Amino acid sequence: MPKKKASRKPMPKDRALALRVNGRTVEVEIPPHRTLLEALRDTGFVDVKRGCEKGDCGACAVLIDGVAVDACLTLAWTVEGRDIVTAAGLGTHENMHPLQKTFVEKGAIQCGYCTPGLIVAAQSLISMTPNPSEEDIRVGLSGNLCRCTGYAKVFEAVREAAAEVRNQRSRR
Amino acid sequence: MSTSFDPTTARANVAFRQVGKPLARTDAPGKAIGRTPYAGDYVMPGMLHAKVLRSPLPSARLVKLDVRKARALPGVVAVLTARELPDRLAPTDIPGQTGQARLKTDQQILVRERVRYHGEPLALIAAESPDIAEHAMKLIEYKLEPLPAVFDPEEALRPGAPIVQGTDNVVARHAINKGDVAAGFAAADVVVERTYRTQFIEHAFLEPEVGLAWIDENDVVNIRVSTQVIEHFRFIADAIGVPHNKVRIMGALVGGGFGGKEDITVEVYLALLAKFTHRPVRLEFTREDSFMGHGKRHPFILRYKTGVKRDGKITALEVRLISDAGAYVFLSPYVLLYGTIAAPGPYLIENLKVDAVSVATNNMYTSAFRGFGSAQACVAYEQQMDEIAKTLGIDRLELRRRNYLKTGEPTATGFPPPSAIWTERCADLAWQALGEKTKAKGAVRIGRGLAAYQQSYGRLTFLHDTSEGWVGVEVDGTVVVRSGVTDIGAGQVSALAQIAVEILGVTLDNVVVYNSDSAVTPLAGTTTATRALYMTGNAVRVAAEAVRNRLAARAAKAFGVAAEDVVLADNKVTAASRSDKSMGFAELVRLCASEGIQRSELAIFRAPFTDRLDPVTGQGQAYPDFTYGAHAIEVAVDTETGEVSVLKSVACHDVGQCINPAAVEGQIEGGAAQGQGYALSEEMIYRDGRLMTPSFSEYLIPTAMDVPVVKSIILESRSGLGPFGAKGIGEPALTPVAPAIANAVADAIGQRIFDLPITPEKIVRALNGI
Amino acid sequence: MYATFDLDRPGDLAGALALLKAKGAVALAGGTNLIVDVRAGRENPRRVVSLDKLDSLRGIRQAGGKVAIGGRTTVTDLLRSPIIAKTAPALVESARQFAGQMVRNTATVAGNIACGSPAADLVPPLFALDAELTLASPRGQRTVPIASYFTGYKKDVRRPGELITRISWKAPPPRSRALFYKLARRKGDAITVVGVAVALDIERGICRRARIALGAVAPTVFRAREAEAMLEGQTLTPALIESAAKAAAAAARPIDDVRASAAYRRHGVHVLVRRLLGQAWEQLS
Repeated sequence: MPKKKASRKPMPKDRALALRVNGRTVEVEIPPHRTLLEALRDTGFVDVKRGCEKGDCGACAVLIDGVAVDACLTLAWTVEGRDIVTAAGLGTHENMHPLQKTFVEKGAIQCGYCTPGLIVAAQSLISMTPNPSEEDIRVGLSGNLCRCTGYAKVFEAVREAAAEVRNQRSRR
Repeated sequence: MSTSFDPTTARANVAFRQVGKPLARTDAPGKAIGRTPYAGDYVMPGMLHAKVLRSPLPSARLVKLDVRKARALPGVVAVLTARELPDRLAPTDIPGQTGQARLKTDQQILVRERVRYHGEPLALIAAESPDIAEHAMKLIEYKLEPLPAVFDPEEALRPGAPIVQGTDNVVARHAINKGDVAAGFAAADVVVERTYRTQFIEHAFLEPEVGLAWIDENDVVNIRVSTQVIEHFRFIADAIGVPHNKVRIMGALVGGGFGGKEDITVEVYLALLAKFTHRPVRLEFTREDSFMGHGKRHPFILRYKTGVKRDGKITALEVRLISDAGAYVFLSPYVLLYGTIAAPGPYLIENLKVDAVSVATNNMYTSAFRGFGSAQACVAYEQQMDEIAKTLGIDRLELRRRNYLKTGEPTATGFPPPSAIWTERCADLAWQALGEKTKAKGAVRIGRGLAAYQQSYGRLTFLHDTSEGWVGVEVDGTVVVRSGVTDIGAGQVSALAQIAVEILGVTLDNVVVYNSDSAVTPLAGTTTATRALYMTGNAVRVAAEAVRNRLAARAAKAFGVAAEDVVLADNKVTAASRSDKSMGFAELVRLCASEGIQRSELAIFRAPFTDRLDPVTGQGQAYPDFTYGAHAIEVAVDTETGEVSVLKSVACHDVGQCINPAAVEGQIEGGAAQGQGYALSEEMIYRDGRLMTPSFSEYLIPTAMDVPVVKSIILESRSGLGPFGAKGIGEPALTPVAPAIANAVADAIGQRIFDLPITPEKIVRALNGI
Repeated sequence: MYATFDLDRPGDLAGALALLKAKGAVALAGGTNLIVDVRAGRENPRRVVSLDKLDSLRGIRQAGGKVAIGGRTTVTDLLRSPIIAKTAPALVESARQFAGQMVRNTATVAGNIACGSPAADLVPPLFALDAELTLASPRGQRTVPIASYFTGYKKDVRRPGELITRISWKAPPPRSRALFYKLARRKGDAITVVGVAVALDIERGICRRARIALGAVAPTVFRAREAEAMLEGQTLTPALIESAAKAAAAAARPIDDVRASAAYRRHGVHVLVRRLLGQAWEQLS
């Protein structure tokens, strides 16, 4: 929902809090049952996708302090003060994250709806396991359903991005 | 066109610059950085949030529906029931037609009195917030009295069965009567009779159905919606009682379709609520809504009786098909027709009898799904080939070789496809690429299977399909393409970009495609039936060629050469015979613009137009053309637990000409995963009509841990009717996979499970008699 | 999601326990079950007490021969822990197949136990470890062996307002093997059809301790004690293993559901117990 006008009374139980998303502070006024998925989409972070709202599909994955979680299973109040990063926060057209780059180059994107969640999950995987095996990648992405690609080019993209991230680290 | 299609010469002298290259798709970067908007990402100030209340019973009379408490809830703006709706129905037949006589198939928009399936909508709510709408749903009071119901299509055909549709539950019949099957069976040495069964399948696109509607200043109903078909504006207009030009559909890039967004889903609800409330309205299906809100893949019962000589030559084939249409007709008659025509597979069968019937039940209604009846037929005809080979003691590939339809030979409807038929080559290559057989160990047995197929591309030709496209060049040399085509993820839009730039000699970074807006992009027809590349690609090709010809003629004048001598490439214009002549593409365009030479073209492309097939013999041309290919599989079966692992997966398809090889591989890999689910793990289970698998926890599509590496062998005969000789790959990528897996499992365990999905339990029961 | 609960985020365990005394108060750990249940209308709490600030309840420690993990330890924490890798390989195997990455990063060990599902994947390996649960309340804490924790389908000895704050076990002796197998309808992110954990400790060629813990085949996870008794004190032969597997299958009380029939589940127990016992014994010999 767009920010409420000042004249409207806040709903009972709504609380004002600040969420830290993609490096900036977002003020919201939300009730306790508002999930992070709802709160993020309502404030314009529409790259976080609604796919099932019960943790089955991974389309809503976001990073909380660098670790991927399903936003649909997270109550927004409980992540006040944490560092939230969505797929769109990982890179831009001019400055793509290695995963975004390899997903494009390898043809790992078809309809693209699962892509933000996949990229978030892959980033979380790579940060925990910088040199993931084929098996590590499959296990790490098993919570992200894709109906278009059959995952094949996704694996290639993640493998290559992991290598690129390791290169970048070793160059520093 | 040559009828030999020699593979060694097919690619000679072809030097594409853009086409045939695995270029990064134009839509990929936006999706990668999460900036691409989908239909659910559009919001409008003051918009309301809608919800649909659904029947928990599959067959019932609605005796009470009291919405007063819901209406009284603060923040609820409207609750609509059938009582508030004008007495109109929503058309549900084949979309995107321009004037062919329609079948009379409709669905009540909201239940008036009779509920026919679990989930049928009872009421619509529009409220200030999603929370309020959800709360309001709980306040609606209703009473449903169960009515007699039928959930089995064979039962529904028996006299005395509860009637769900029409007078006898028959929603369609089709037949093929070709040659003389009696004589064929008499001439046979052996007759093999088997029955195959397939299950309800859910599309499981990741993006649930969603849309936003508003009435604009011209009283036009605007609907932003995730759809495969923007031409639905006609059906929507009819359903809400306005002229066709008063409904505008704006698609968005679609988060998966597979046929599940081929019918109307949220559009009529949105239009009604927007008109009633005079406010923008947004409706997003939950996943549970989605499972109950669009038609499933038809279950089929496929009875095959094949007469065959000792040497393997088929002398007669008799097929009986029954499909479960569910509670409403939707596209059942067409799915049945596809299954009927596809019944014999890619084989030459001169004596053929097919009798097919589609039957209404109180199950969920069934409609389009990738393969559209041809996939179900392939499940049967390719398993039947293996059964015949086993009975005769002939190698499975050799049996097929003795029966393949060859280039120029007639299909089941007596029509010889105009393109190359490379089934044998595809099957042999796929099979060889399986390599050395994995060693069996302990309780695990290894099996291999193959399926060859024939899948149409382009719509039924009696629908008189057309597609329009517009191409224009800006004065700075950049290119614009406008096409109504919907992009459902396979790169429909990017393909058009690649075609346009190939013809105009610019690079892919210099073209923008506008698509899927029924008010401003030329209507290109549905993204269904593997028609998008063929139809919309050709429309754009024709338009681009017209623009190119005008530009080239002007350049020829400037260079003093013949028009054929002009070369457009790499954003430059040159002359083949005069190395001293050149200009920039932008320069040429500016020149044309200053002289009033038209820099754009709106083109129409027509598929072949035919009459309907003969109602008795089933003979005639049914489709423009077909794609042929095969898929080979190796599985490991744990004979104690019944678990099946797909170890190797090889696809070989003749796609005519790749526009983008990476996109073709993507279709193949995605189709392989869908086919694996179809064969092994997916089933929408309805018990007494009630859905028992309402989420992704119960309905199991393959995950990243389930799929093998897929090898794609892509052949290009350049013989297709699409741009540059392309065929279609969308549906073909899926069609042979499930039967190949079924054949591999049967090979592993020495017996066949005749009904999909082949679950571990079915295998254990077959082997252990538990 | 529409719900009406109040939400608190206490800063320490005492505060959480005080809030959980109220009627209609439930604890929120990872939320991977609770949020799903609230959305589906299966749970309608008045108050949700989030444990997200209780970092003290998260962690894996080994002291002497004992391993202890805080209740809020996540499944991913288990996968990344050298202590768990060394002392609880069956738990690692279960954790690896547990749902998907995002759920593993969030779901807690205590939550998986407390949800009471007989298909909870971490539970059979914990049974095989003879794990103990520490239950905390405003009155103090008590310890319950996990094998005594469950009393019926979604019923347990946890009193209203109690939290599982710690799970601990004795690190297995050197000649010990624990294995876990999850039989499900697909390899990734699936609800278990039959879950089997076995553990064998041997000493001088004799089985000293045998544990056979079965999940998803009865109203609760349970130990096939009759089968275990057949093995303890014995050298395991194929015939003995087969008898134990048969006994384990007979002890199961599975149901028919959309995933599988009771008959298949019982068959699965027989096959998997036989297989895992055979593998564990062979690896130890």
